Amino acid sequence: MNARSILAAAGPAPVWVLAAAAVAVYGTLAQSYGLKLLAIAGCYTLAVLGYQFVFGRIGALSLAQGAFFGLGAYTSALLALKLGWDFARTLPAAIALAVALAAIVGASVLRLGSHYFALATLAVAELLHILAVEWLRLTGGGNGLPGVPGFRLFDFTIPAGWPAALFVWIVVAMGALLAMNYAASLYGDGSRLLRAHPLAAASAGIGEPGRRMAAFLLSAAFGAAGGALYVHTLGVVSPEALQFDVMVLILCMTVIGGRNAVAGAALGALLLVHLPEWFRAFEQWALFAYGAGLLVCIIAAPEGIAGAVEALWRRMFGPPRVAVLAAPAPPSEMAAPPPAGDTIVLAAQALGIAFGGNRALTGATFHIRAGEIVGLIGPNGSGKTTLLNLLSGFYRPDLGRVLLGGHDVTALPAWRRARLGIARSFQHAALADDMTALDNVAVASAECGPARLANILRLPGRDRRRRQARARAFAALEAVGAAASAGKRGADLGTSERRLVELARALVAEPKVMLLDEPAAGLSEAEKHALQSLLRGLAARGIGIVIVDHGMPFLLPLADRVVCLDAGAILAAGTPQEVAADPAVRRAYLGGAAP
Amino acid sequence: MSWAQILVDGVALGAAYALVALGFVLVLNAAGAVNFAQGDLVMAGGFAAIVLASLVPLGGIAVPGLVLAPMVAVAGGLAGWLVAEIAYRPLRRRPPVAVFISTIAVGIMLQHGANGLFGASERRTPPMMAGEPFAFAGLTVSRQSLAIVATAAIVILLLHLLLERTQLGRRLRAAAEDPDMARAIGIPVRRLTALAFALGAALAALAGLLLANVYFVTPTAGLAFMLKAYIAVTIGGWGSLRGAVAGAFLVALFEVIAARLLNASLADALLYAALLAALLLRPQGLFGEAAGRRA
Amino acid sequence: MTKVKRISTVIAAALLLAPAAEAQERATFPILVPLTGALALEGQSQRNGALMAFAERERAGTAALLKQVYSYPVLDTASNPQIAVQAFERAMGASPKPRMLMGPIDGNSMLALLPLAERENAALLAISGTARLTELGSKHIFRFFPSDVVVKAAQARYIVEELKRKNVALVHQNTAYGQSGNAELTRWIERLGGAVVFRTSLPVTTKELSGVIAQVRESGADVVALQLHSGSSALFVGQAARAGLGLPIVGGSALHQPSTAALLEPAEMKGVCAETASAPAADEAPEIAAFARNYRERYKAEPDAFALAAYDAVRAVFQTWNAEKPLPESLAAAEIKGLAMTYKNDGTGNLAHDAIIVCYDGTSRTPRIAKRYRRPHD
Repeated sequence: MNARSILAAAGPAPVWVLAAAAVAVYGTLAQSYGLKLLAIAGCYTLAVLGYQFVFGRIGALSLAQGAFFGLGAYTSALLALKLGWDFARTLPAAIALAVALAAIVGASVLRLGSHYFALATLAVAELLHILAVEWLRLTGGGNGLPGVPGFRLFDFTIPAGWPAALFVWIVVAMGALLAMNYAASLYGDGSRLLRAHPLAAASAGIGEPGRRMAAFLLSAAFGAAGGALYVHTLGVVSPEALQFDVMVLILCMTVIGGRNAVAGAALGALLLVHLPEWFRAFEQWALFAYGAGLLVCIIAAPEGIAGAVEALWRRMFGPPRVAVLAAPAPPSEMAAPPPAGDTIVLAAQALGIAFGGNRALTGATFHIRAGEIVGLIGPNGSGKTTLLNLLSGFYRPDLGRVLLGGHDVTALPAWRRARLGIARSFQHAALADDMTALDNVAVASAECGPARLANILRLPGRDRRRRQARARAFAALEAVGAAASAGKRGADLGTSERRLVELARALVAEPKVMLLDEPAAGLSEAEKHALQSLLRGLAARGIGIVIVDHGMPFLLPLADRVVCLDAGAILAAGTPQEVAADPAVRRAYLGGAAP
Repeated sequence: MSWAQILVDGVALGAAYALVALGFVLVLNAAGAVNFAQGDLVMAGGFAAIVLASLVPLGGIAVPGLVLAPMVAVAGGLAGWLVAEIAYRPLRRRPPVAVFISTIAVGIMLQHGANGLFGASERRTPPMMAGEPFAFAGLTVSRQSLAIVATAAIVILLLHLLLERTQLGRRLRAAAEDPDMARAIGIPVRRLTALAFALGAALAALAGLLLANVYFVTPTAGLAFMLKAYIAVTIGGWGSLRGAVAGAFLVALFEVIAARLLNASLADALLYAALLAALLLRPQGLFGEAAGRRA
Repeated sequence: MTKVKRISTVIAAALLLAPAAEAQERATFPILVPLTGALALEGQSQRNGALMAFAERERAGTAALLKQVYSYPVLDTASNPQIAVQAFERAMGASPKPRMLMGPIDGNSMLALLPLAERENAALLAISGTARLTELGSKHIFRFFPSDVVVKAAQARYIVEELKRKNVALVHQNTAYGQSGNAELTRWIERLGGAVVFRTSLPVTTKELSGVIAQVRESGADVVALQLHSGSSALFVGQAARAGLGLPIVGGSALHQPSTAALLEPAEMKGVCAETASAPAADEAPEIAAFARNYRERYKAEPDAFALAAYDAVRAVFQTWNAEKPLPESLAAAEIKGLAMTYKNDGTGNLAHDAIIVCYDGTSRTPRIAKRYRRPHD
């Protein structure tokens, strides 16, 4: 391995190490004021790390992070002032209270869509602010709680200045370690796909409500920890700490630092804490300059500074190559004998759905057997994709049922059906750009099942499940003939590569039935032939395959049966030859001309 | 003070909020972006009115707001166009949160620019027309309240006509629904998005001119308007113009009624609690969400 | 004079002055004020008054003649105690290390800074009225503005003794200022035999006050006491006038501020009074009028009591500080004649003990001084 590939594999980690060293050197030289700013930046770094869980990795716009921060500050201050607790006790108490609040709030509002969730969290934050202002006896009202002592651990008081700043950053480092473990785990990969392509994630079996709740709870825990550190660094907390401005600040720090990189959290916090200080010379115009600086930052680096550094690193040294895995896939059920040839794996009974006043599908009844390939054709708007969505669980039907292996799954959401064995691909292959093809496939492996949050407590790199999942993913990529693309980033894959990777992702979960939406679109003739033999091979394993396609030439030699839809109803069904010859089909779809 | 009077005051407040919320929704639909500077544009409109009032030479006579209104709207439009160019256009292909941040930055600049230029004291814009309030049926209706309602009604009507009856409006809507398709059939999407921003900002500026006569304006006034617009648009139906107007009136009426029955701090808390309840019970809002937006 | 005599006079003068020039003392006197945020209006006034004091001093004597030379960095505390602490730390990094500094007007920020000032042994000049500042036993706080105890006593006395009203509707802001004032005002009203028949807390963002006014009307109060910031005060007075509330209003110092009066029509302010430490824009006393003239020329704005208090505070330091008598001790015992009043420490850090009531007569935006109170809290 030459130097270039070593650097490529390392990612921009050396940059971060250098930056951390620079900050440490600055810390040793700084005066009390500079150290205080460093400590404050550390507190915000924790809050931003927490925010990254819910906003960066899950993509949910929570507007309560500032509130958790302030809540942590008030809790720690009150316990220290009224009960004389030391930091070793007030910190866990602050975290516990914030997590409890997040659990209550999350249970009610996490199911809401993005901007509703945002507004709901905003409402909670504003309510907390009003509480802090009005509940004079507890919180001191507008005056807040001054005179909060510094960091006391058991009987020892950490002196102000560099010891306190160092203490803050030690706590931050512990939090950063947890965050890095999260990101580098199979669980974290799943969350990344969930943020980038929620639908694709659902089809990969990722989407259980516990995941969002876990992210929200983590954000609350980290936020409160940051707040607790903050109040003992500054010695005061007032309702201003619960104002919306703090939330805006944390949001800006997250986005400008880079919402997916742990290093980004520190970068954003350090930058935005120091920026107003650098602009102090402008006096009354300092914050105007700060706003301008913010604008410049976001335009210059919309993915955040960490994102820009990573992109630059990749441009200089190329993407990291994933070593071809020597470990074989664990003996898996992939080699299991195919089920009996005429078992019905998936059935639709009189499915119907309407959108607004438009009845998109009526009375759709059909079935797929194990090892069967069924083609689904019809003009645009006839309901093909709708039917696929109904079968896979992305739409809930108004009428009818969906049965998987005889069990009624109509009420189950898409991610649940995915885990039960319905795999789906999309018209535009939805892969996470910043993950390798291998990881894009690995997340769908059955290993990534229920929330394995305990992973974040491991030492980094020791995630056995991730290794197993990757091994399975590699096998799946080999099966579809895309093993060569395993190490490439999602953003760097070509169209046909993307399709194959998506197919591998559908395959790795060992599905009983695969629903493929126009898998051949955009492929060359040779690629189409390869795809046809691949699909035949998969069917031979006993997987039922439904293919939506426009091109009869693709389906004719491939499909066992073809179903033709028109205007939301099944027009004809039978062998490909029968359907192609059907005059009604030719009128509706082929316009009378021969296929 | 009778309930009728309270309602009259609430309606005027709601009309002004409706202008702000409409501007917010216009940009939301056109750019798929939450314009966080909308509240600060209201504030800027108020200050622009004050500056323009001092520039228009009428020989010492106070300039009525009616004369200023078109100028303020144009100034707001220019500001909106500027916001589109510096905060939206460079980031339109980026994740929506980038525009969130850039408009936050613009809002900060507006707020502190105003603080630097004008100082922090509250200011008042001239009334739309001078004169005594009207009294009838035991109610007092100030001329400004009437002016606010009238202006809002006219503006809403014009907007409706623009969007539903004109070619320009149809193109605006097409560009908003599917920018790529619109571009493919030759609609100048970029210019229309800038137009949407300009319209949204013009509405905000008008609202600023109207509101600052009754409620004064100060550089920090923007956030409250932003939050009210955000709430109004959400409970009215995200992306729906009718919903924005309805939501705005609901918020205003809630404010005045709750303040009448309880104390004002509690009224704020109650608004947020009611909002939470609404979100849990009927998240899609009154008129439902307008078809698929990338939020 | 002949040429030789002229030159020798100059040389003699230079020789006489040379020792003075060598013995210059340098001091850093940071001015921490809210320039942004909710209290930016008062903070900007505070800054203006302080800077004017420095500027006048420098103009009056050339640098070479002055024994003490001050550098006076202005730092924004953003109406936020957390930011105020940051600003304090930054100020303390200056060289020479500050032995005194002016603190921001918001009481909650001052409460946060007080322990820090003690740690650094620096004198903290205050123009915040929050009573608690001088109840903590600190030797480092010096308040050049009458505390809530004083001004609320004046306000209560005016209501009960002058206006002869006993049933008070108290509308206060939900900020630290409003809450502290509410507590103190209630105490004084009850002490003087009155009663608070209605009380409500008002957020700064609430603009439509018809509900509050209706509640005041229904409460049967015969006078309204306000403890609100400038914007809310103007909103209340204006909307109450338009609603025909018809009750006299006695407000906090925000109602004396010219910027508040500028928002209202003179007719709307008939029957409105305010407590304040001073009213430089309205006071006809020659020195104060001169101050107002200079302020107007310099800042193109009307001065208020906060500017004057800051001005007096800075000049008090000029008079009392030098290397032999360092702060904070030198301010502890001093008696300083300022423009607004005479300042003398009562041992707890309060140096201002007088207040005035100004009233608007309905024809002008400039109030007249209706009553002067010397030590109304005794």
